[in-house]
Amino acid sequence: MSATIANLDALRTALPALGQRVGRSTRTDDERLARARAVMLGELDASHATYLETCLHCGMCAHACHFYIGTNEAKYTPIYKVEPLKKVYQREIGPMRWLRRLVVSDISLSELEDWQPLVYDACTECGRCDLMCPMGIQISPMIGIMRRALAAADLLPAELAGAADEQKTLGSVLGAGRAEILSLARELETAGVHVPLDLATADVVVLTSAVDIKAYANSFKATAKILNRLKLKWTLLSNSIELLGTGESLKELHVRRIVEEVVRHEAKTLLLPECGHAYPALRFDSAHMIGEPLPFAVLSIAEFVGREIMADRLKVKRAPAMGPVTYHDPCKLGRHGGVFEEPRAAIKALGLELKEMESHGRTNYCCGGGGGQFMIARGAQLRHRAFEIKMREVDDTGAGTVLTACNSCRLNYQNGASESNWQKSVQSIIELVGANLAD
Amino acid sequence: MTILEFARGPAFQAALWIFAFGVCWRLAGVFLMYRRFDRSKPRRHHLVAGGLRAIVMRSLPPHELEKRIVFQHVSGYAWHLTFFISLLFFAPHLPFFKQFLGFGWPTLPNTIALLSGAIALAILLALLWRRATVPVLRQISSLDDYLSIVLVILPLATGFMQYARVLPFGMRYETLLGVHILTICALMVWFPFGKLMHLFLAFPARFQAGALLERKGVEA
Repeated sequence: MSATIANLDALRTALPALGQRVGRSTRTDDERLARARAVMLGELDASHATYLETCLHCGMCAHACHFYIGTNEAKYTPIYKVEPLKKVYQREIGPMRWLRRLVVSDISLSELEDWQPLVYDACTECGRCDLMCPMGIQISPMIGIMRRALAAADLLPAELAGAADEQKTLGSVLGAGRAEILSLARELETAGVHVPLDLATADVVVLTSAVDIKAYANSFKATAKILNRLKLKWTLLSNSIELLGTGESLKELHVRRIVEEVVRHEAKTLLLPECGHAYPALRFDSAHMIGEPLPFAVLSIAEFVGREIMADRLKVKRAPAMGPVTYHDPCKLGRHGGVFEEPRAAIKALGLELKEMESHGRTNYCCGGGGGQFMIARGAQLRHRAFEIKMREVDDTGAGTVLTACNSCRLNYQNGASESNWQKSVQSIIELVGANLAD
Repeated sequence: MTILEFARGPAFQAALWIFAFGVCWRLAGVFLMYRRFDRSKPRRHHLVAGGLRAIVMRSLPPHELEKRIVFQHVSGYAWHLTFFISLLFFAPHLPFFKQFLGFGWPTLPNTIALLSGAIALAILLALLWRRATVPVLRQISSLDDYLSIVLVILPLATGFMQYARVLPFGMRYETLLGVHILTICALMVWFPFGKLMHLFLAFPARFQAGALLERKGVEA
């Protein structure tokens, strides 16, 4: 059940193949453009208007972006990536639209096609630019609108379109669905780890992820061990898996289904796996999607474990000596979710010497593969340029091990390390905690 | 009617009305727009405090971000500061403010006010040059960016010409004073239409970001 090179390779091979699932759009160009415009107009509100009206075009956001820093190419300037959205705002709903229409050209489908690599390959929605802007402009949520507009115009990159299609038609993600969840549960039971599967009611409902199932099953094994040790009434849902954020309607459908399941189980807590993208979607966005506050708490497993350790409910022993370690803050947990303290509490409890990177916590650099970027084959070179920044920051700490709390980040680190022959060990905090539970 | 009389009279009045109406129109257009209400459970609850903190703290980015933008950051604040010093504390400007507002305030020695203006002018010229030559800035720049910076430079430049009695085209001193006031009128007319509006929008934008990030438990 270890994350062997074989199953990691299988996952890597599966990603480009996703691109062959879907064909060309069957809609007319006008329909596609109208759909993109409708998404933009439907999502823009006063908060985006304030940001778009305030932008000074100072370009400072470029100096926060790992893709710009890694390449020095001006087109990767974050605010430039939302240019079509800005045009739609200025021409159609901005207070000076009567004037802007005279000088701002309308968007076209070919323009949106040109923007596809900018918002998918060259942005991981990591939100580092959101911290840099002197006006406080939150660019990454607007990149999110751009992505959804492009998805509506059938301009998802092929791999993401394939993944979305798989989720929609087969209910699985990257080949991981109900059968694989059941198989994982059986395997763990055989290994002596109890997995309460599909209980009628539970205090804690647990989701797993496709990346866990395909490459990091030990992460879920550790989760099960920790929950059993805490003697919690928990259950794994075999009909729900973490979601992909490709295509807003699909995401909303999936979020609604998960929320309904948690409510049906009368659970107080929804526990998310070591998965970045599910966290902001379920922790923050879901309440908007369902139109009311969630009647349960949403926690990432690293956040949950850290809290249990800090509250002294979960005891761990010292981890085997591994020298200094550093911690990679997954963007979706940290900058987008405020989970900084809890993973570090777990590292401290394990008796490990933590050496922070220069950019850590809220200013942490993305691994380069977030936001689905790691699935896009043509983005490999760009991803690697961003990863080089990460390698330098890790190297500067002198740590031999990188710990993280997101298996997508971990996958990207391991990919990048193998491409660069980078001799660092990349490990999961949860697996370390699971392997070092105190007797 | 001389140029000076026109500038001080109908031109200034018209510019003032366009400025006031335009600013209100643009602010209303933004703030009255539909706003999505975030129903998620906040990680931290002091959203107003978070917003207010961001208004201040956005001026002081963390070192790892700051080190890549030192020139832009420092020059941005420096030209604003020096521009407003020369505008508000240069003795020859005070009679205008007294007449317009009905009250005045102490001024700085001319040397200091002029030095401030010179610094502002030099920085603005450097920023204009950067905008035209640095690839990132060139790519994201529009007519608004160039026009706004030129319209801020012009009152400073004509003000210096006037103080130094540099009278182009055999212009009379009073005529140049009229031109100086007309450049201010042009700035006021353009103000609501372009990026200069950040004077009114920067704090709301920072506040909004601060409250949003506070909700997520992240320092803005």
